[in-house]
Amino acid sequence: MVTVVDVRNVAKSFGRKRILKDVSFSVCRGEMAGIVGENGSGKTTLLKTIVGLLAPAAGEVIVQEKVGYCPQEMLVFDTLTVDENFAYFAAAYGLRQASGPGGWRGRESLLLSRFGFAAYRDSLVSNLSGGTRQKLNLSLALLHEPGLLILDEPYSGFDWETYLHFWDFAEELKAAGKSFLVVSHFLHDRSRFDTVYELREGVLRCA
Amino acid sequence: MRLRYITAAWRMSVRELLRSRIALILFLVIPALFFAVILLTTTHKEIGFKLASVSEDAFIRVSQRREALVFIGLAAVGLLTSFLALNLTQKHAAANRRLVLCGYTTSELLAAKFLTLAGLIVGIGVYLSSLLLLFFRPGRLLLVFLGFILAGFVYGSYGLMVGALFRRELEGILFIVLLANIDIGWLQNPIYYADAQNKFIIRHLPAYFPSQVSMTAAFSGHSVLAPLWGGLVYGSLLLLAAALVFGWKMRIRK
Repeated sequence: MVTVVDVRNVAKSFGRKRILKDVSFSVCRGEMAGIVGENGSGKTTLLKTIVGLLAPAAGEVIVQEKVGYCPQEMLVFDTLTVDENFAYFAAAYGLRQASGPGGWRGRESLLLSRFGFAAYRDSLVSNLSGGTRQKLNLSLALLHEPGLLILDEPYSGFDWETYLHFWDFAEELKAAGKSFLVVSHFLHDRSRFDTVYELREGVLRCA
Repeated sequence: MRLRYITAAWRMSVRELLRSRIALILFLVIPALFFAVILLTTTHKEIGFKLASVSEDAFIRVSQRREALVFIGLAAVGLLTSFLALNLTQKHAAANRRLVLCGYTTSELLAAKFLTLAGLIVGIGVYLSSLLLLFFRPGRLLLVFLGFILAGFVYGSYGLMVGALFRRELEGILFIVLLANIDIGWLQNPIYYADAQNKFIIRHLPAYFPSQVSMTAAFSGHSVLAPLWGGLVYGSLLLLAAALVFGWKMRIRK
């Protein structure tokens, strides 16, 4: 099995508070790994450290795949439309071709339809509901067809139907060899993961 | 730096700005309001002042209203550009960092924001110079306009830096208002400057060079080359500081 993320002895503190203590784990290609834990247990800090938004105080993180990161906060541009957000992130990912086979416009249409918000393509993000914004937040992480998806509570604010659509889509991607690292606080999600890690007081254990 | 990335970010940045109603209202209303206050509060009585960047002996006598119109024009450019520049780097800072995570470099993002700011400075400069022409024609209008542009460059760069530095709007606005109020809104007025006790401080504030360019060009035939260069250097240093702060705040561990 090819390892796509290797986290080795990572520690992180904010001031005197130790958030992550000697965290080690790995995710293999095609694996769906989940991280669960109570609020404030360090799940988001761990993901931010893996993607590079935070620097670890100790240890190292090795990522071997193109990453798609969906943050917990909705990091989108609310004075732009949904379509403009897609265009902005397509530019960031370096996706040159907009239309035609393999172009990002096709990918955009697919994501809009899979998550059921195609009707809002030309709407300003500031006019969207929280759930629809979250659909955009998640879609932007999937736009460049990453090999590894690092998702921080990606379905918060989704209605039940969209939540199920998300998991259907995730299963399809997994079958295509994509890897997942998902933070969740839903107990019923545990059955969907190949491996479940529990983060408690900064210590990661295989649940 | 990749031109394609900068162009895409610049296009989005302009769209964001054009959709900001408050920015457009400020852009149109502030200069007109400032000029209206001057027209309502000043007379054509002659006043005398020294041009600091020319010579201590260069004493000029002009209409109080005309002097105030040029001075308030500079204040309007400084305030507007710094507020709008603050908005460019402070708003959506976290989303901008996500863009960096996805592939942008901080210099590309900042270059796009600076291009937007540059367009804005020229727009404000043209608008203010046109308004000024309604009341009087300064000696060398083009250089007065250049002084406005320089004030926009210096204060715009300051705004970019403050926006990158502070996460919350209140702190950013406070830092801009404090400096702009003391500097471009008060100490750089040649009438105050002429009899100031400590000119060293005034000469080192951001609006010194731009205001000297506009005032010298509007009311004398002296060269503006020295303050022009001074302003360019001052603005470039502030822009460099803005780039460093922005780069530090947007940094990603690869």
